[in-house]
Amino acid sequence: MNDLIHFTLNGEKVTSDRSANERLLDVLREDFKLTGVKCGCKEGECGACSVLLDGVLANSCMVAMGSIEGSEVVTIEGYSETKRFQALSDAYAQTSAVQCGFCIPGMVLACEALLAKNPNPTDAEIRKGISGNLCRCTGYNAIVEAVKIAAREGKGLW
Amino acid sequence: MVAFSNGYLVDNLTEALKIRSEFEVTPYAGGTDLMVEAKDDAVYLFLNKIPELRRIYSDDEYIRIGAACTYTEIFENTLTPQILKDSIDYLAAPAIRNMGTAGGNICNASPKADTALIFYVADAKLRICSASGERILPIEDFYVGRGKTVLQRDELLVEILVPKFGLEHYYYKKVGARQALAISRVAFAGLFSTENGIITRFAMAFGSVADTILRFRDLEALFVGKTMTEAKSLRDDLIAKYDQAIVPIRGRVSADYRKSVCMNLLEDFLNQNGI
Ligand SMILES: Cc1cc2nc3c(=O)[nH]c(=O)nc-3n(C[C@H](O)[C@H](O)[C@H](O)COP(=O)(O)OP(=O)(O)OC[C@H]3O[C@@H](n4cnc5c(N)ncnc54)[C@H](O)[C@@H]3O)c2cc1C
Ligand code: FES
Ligand code: FES
Repeated sequence: MNDLIHFTLNGEKVTSDRSANERLLDVLREDFKLTGVKCGCKEGECGACSVLLDGVLANSCMVAMGSIEGSEVVTIEGYSETKRFQALSDAYAQTSAVQCGFCIPGMVLACEALLAKNPNPTDAEIRKGISGNLCRCTGYNAIVEAVKIAAREGKGLW
Repeated sequence: MVAFSNGYLVDNLTEALKIRSEFEVTPYAGGTDLMVEAKDDAVYLFLNKIPELRRIYSDDEYIRIGAACTYTEIFENTLTPQILKDSIDYLAAPAIRNMGTAGGNICNASPKADTALIFYVADAKLRICSASGERILPIEDFYVGRGKTVLQRDELLVEILVPKFGLEHYYYKKVGARQALAISRVAFAGLFSTENGIITRFAMAFGSVADTILRFRDLEALFVGKTMTEAKSLRDDLIAKYDQAIVPIRGRVSADYRKSVCMNLLEDFLNQNGI
């Protein structure tokens, strides 16, 4: 009898009976119906599948289920309950940083990971922080602007 | 130990080595190479929660980096030499750096591996363990070819031993296609030191030109122990010898191009050091 995989997902303790070699991305989308986690490449290149894994940004397509036993996973669905999300969301709205929206869940989590480490990033640091998250629509400028607004208006949150 | 279907998770090295000796498993550190072509029948031995593989500390001679330390952890550690930090700074993007490990970079045995290049030029050694013992070998002796190493099926890479001294004066360049996520097109690392006008250290490593990372100790020896004046007079000869020694992967135009970039970087390295 094989062991189940235990982890915390958006604050709740959960288990999975999937094989240890399966991708966290597939389990989040198919079993937990967390479809804010997008699949763009399954090669670690696009960042659409980003989640926070034990507090750091990770591409869920590159994570095998067995490696997350005992870990904590936060997806955009869990993150959107936070004040920090609200600050980022308001800032994105102000600069019209969302077009088709496909990259946005991953992008927002990349911004969170950046601000958590560096609450006052420069333009260059922001571009570096989101360098693994591809956006085909916006050309990034509006997103960079939004991060600066969020850092300013959400002062004290990060 | 936890035994999943298609995977084992352990929290200490002894148990990991026991499993490695008893079962046919693929070591899994950060998964950033393995998961690109994830196989349905893969059985993984997860290394990411083994404390012995995730620490960085130093002894008299070496900075010892646990094989499963992530790039982010290495980058943020104060013991890490700047040359290694530079290579990590140009490597992929944050999410990959948070998961990918130096041990995975070495064991994947790609000639493009960015941190392996630094370990090469720095004379790093690898501490490799099995249930029945351990061995320490220079990183150059670890590789047999592209994707091929001398690692036995019951062994794990445990630590990378990076010499503490002599890495201050370095040259590192990665010429890639895109800034982020650039799997290096060409990477070059060099070390140069002098004492009282005599060259004490002269080392160069080339990534992405051949099947393995390249380093030529016999050619480096031509400069070590020489004065700057002597080195200058040997410059053209040295360049010609490297031009002969570096044999790019045959039949690939891109490899020839990469070789010319390497030669330009070598010359720039010499120029910058006044040779
Ligand atoms: C989008 C993207 C961008 C990338 N960019 C770069 C780049 O710029 N430069 C670069 O060099 N690489 C790059 N890579 C490749 C990869 O991230 C690195 O090679 C990384 O260091 C691999 O480490 P890992 O822990 O994820 O390896 P894993 O995928 O876990 O393992 C890789 C191999 O090593 C073996 N292994 C791992 N640890 C051990 C151990 N302790 N003992 C024995 N065997 C072991 C595994 O069995 C496997 O064969 C990139 C990858 C992606 C997906
Ligand atoms: S789907 Fe994971 S990085 Fe593109
Ligand atoms: S908004 Fe469309 S991909 Fe970013």
